[in-house]
Amino acid sequence: MNSDIIIIILATGIRLATPYLLAALGEMFVQRSGVYNLGVEGIMMMGAFAGFYATLQLGSPLLGIAASLAIGGLMGLIMALVSVTFKAEQGISGIGLYMFGWGLSGLLFRLYVGGITSIEGLKAIKIPLLSQIPFLGPVLFDHNMLVYTAFLLVPVTGFILFKTSWGLNVRAVGNKPEAADTLGVSVVRIRYQCLIVGGMLAGLAGAFLTLGQANMFADNITAGRGFIAIALVYFGRWSPWGILLGSLLFSLADSFQSMIQVLGINFPYELAVILPYIVTIVALAISYGRVWAPAALGKTFQRGTRG
Amino acid sequence: MKKKLLALLLAVLTLSALSGCAAKPATPAPEAAKTEKIRIALVLPATVDDLAWGQSMVEGLKAVQNTMGKDKVEIATSEKLGNAVDAGSAIRQYATQGYDIIIAHGSQYQSVLTEITKDFPKTTFAYGTGFATQPNVFAYDPQAQEGGYLLGMLAALTTKTGIVGIVGPVESGDAVKYNYGVQQGVLKGKADVKTRTAYTGSFNDIVGAGNLAKTQMGAGADILTGSSQQAVGALRAVAETPGKYWLSTDMDQSSIAPDHVLAAQVYNWEKIVTKIIELRKKGTLGGQVLTLGFADGTIDLKYNPKLADKIPAEAKAAVEQAKKDIISGKLKVELPKK
Repeated sequence: MNSDIIIIILATGIRLATPYLLAALGEMFVQRSGVYNLGVEGIMMMGAFAGFYATLQLGSPLLGIAASLAIGGLMGLIMALVSVTFKAEQGISGIGLYMFGWGLSGLLFRLYVGGITSIEGLKAIKIPLLSQIPFLGPVLFDHNMLVYTAFLLVPVTGFILFKTSWGLNVRAVGNKPEAADTLGVSVVRIRYQCLIVGGMLAGLAGAFLTLGQANMFADNITAGRGFIAIALVYFGRWSPWGILLGSLLFSLADSFQSMIQVLGINFPYELAVILPYIVTIVALAISYGRVWAPAALGKTFQRGTRG
Repeated sequence: MKKKLLALLLAVLTLSALSGCAAKPATPAPEAAKTEKIRIALVLPATVDDLAWGQSMVEGLKAVQNTMGKDKVEIATSEKLGNAVDAGSAIRQYATQGYDIIIAHGSQYQSVLTEITKDFPKTTFAYGTGFATQPNVFAYDPQAQEGGYLLGMLAALTTKTGIVGIVGPVESGDAVKYNYGVQQGVLKGKADVKTRTAYTGSFNDIVGAGNLAKTQMGAGADILTGSSQQAVGALRAVAETPGKYWLSTDMDQSSIAPDHVLAAQVYNWEKIVTKIIELRKKGTLGGQVLTLGFADGTIDLKYNPKLADKIPAEAKAAVEQAKKDIISGKLKVELPKK
């Protein structure tokens, strides 16, 4: 393997990691606040459609991104309404949201677009100077803006979660909502905020698929990526750096197996395709340490009762 | 209790939203159906506008309708029924509603059909790609390898980098047949041109197909091809890169990338459906395997007139000669060994 091939594998891996990273970082906030949103996939599909449709109609991918953030936030709000205010079982409401997003995005596409239509998506932005660095330049600094955004969000979300008082409130609400409540932190408000932020990031992850990858929309465009993002939150132990590690591991394995197939290296295709999953599961299995999760994850909060 | 109710409500809501887009409800049988109207129902694994397998059949049915008259042929379609169990209930419903011909457009429907068809002996069923028939079940079988061979030859004689890339879905059925044809055609066209075959492991991951196409191009392929409904994702990735070209199968995909689709293998479903209708009129409800191939024009090769100058004259001549040889039976494109 020469260095060109290695550059392609690494650059592709970074590109592939982007939707997982965006959606998983959003879901991290959601779960840190004590809610698990299994509807990420559906939100991604709605975000993918909104981004695609706004770009198609308005001619600007930036407006497409704005639309995906808005729709994603709205979907998060629906989840918040159902699971926080109405206290519905979180797993079921999440699956409902997933099916809702899948059905609605397909329906809107059929009604307002009709058939496969391509758009001008986001262009790669070469970072001046940095993209000239041999090897690292094309790997790290020749991507579209959403790729940079996703990777920048890792330290940013880390800072928000661990260094700000809002982050402290989120963690408190996800661990001991009763305690947070007695100290005057509104559990409901924090969970609403997290679900909306998580929805916006999932919407953005969807927009990355239509604006940054496919440059078109099709039914079920996410093809399971939202569920992988949820798994990566567990893999990353609810921390941005862990999620980064998991996303990169999974995506690099994926990019690597594609290249193995393309180069015709004698390796059964069935094994190649599942390689990313195997690598991730093995990494999860051998990573030691106690499995930690937000203590109130999945529990609805009712003031005055034990969680 | 309130919680459960709400969850139930949400589930029902979403299900109705889903099914709302999944199935176009068939218009109930009008009383005027007595006037020799043929009612055809189509069940699709993907969508009616996938620019591939599904859409090619939909357009074939529309052509039948236009030829025979809109008042003579009624068509109902249900899409996104990749799940064989859901497809089974749709097929059974159509049969109960009295549709004459029910086309289950996918090889995955074979076993579902065996359960249903016995209950409706007067209905004609058809499915494919497949071989197993019953007295009231036709199986159709496109010789995808024939067009694959011709496109492979074309690719080998046109490529500048000497690498032809295949973006495959899942290594099975039609994809294997088509890819095997391409590989043989490339080898015949120019012995030192390489075919690189890779699969995404999915039929409908257009983003994955696009990424695989990018990897193929990055590693040197300049002419790419691939089958299934996700192929448009790969085609879109090809269309973003100047100097890279695509060969499409199932139907002509040049509408979304007119500057990048060199040629296409096109299935002519109109002829197959017309044949089924005629056989049914004569009293043959099924029991035959209908083969699509170049010999009877049920498969054809279509060039993109806009890119005619990108194909060297000798390449086109060689391909046309091979096509004649396939039609005359002189050239037999091999199928992959089981």
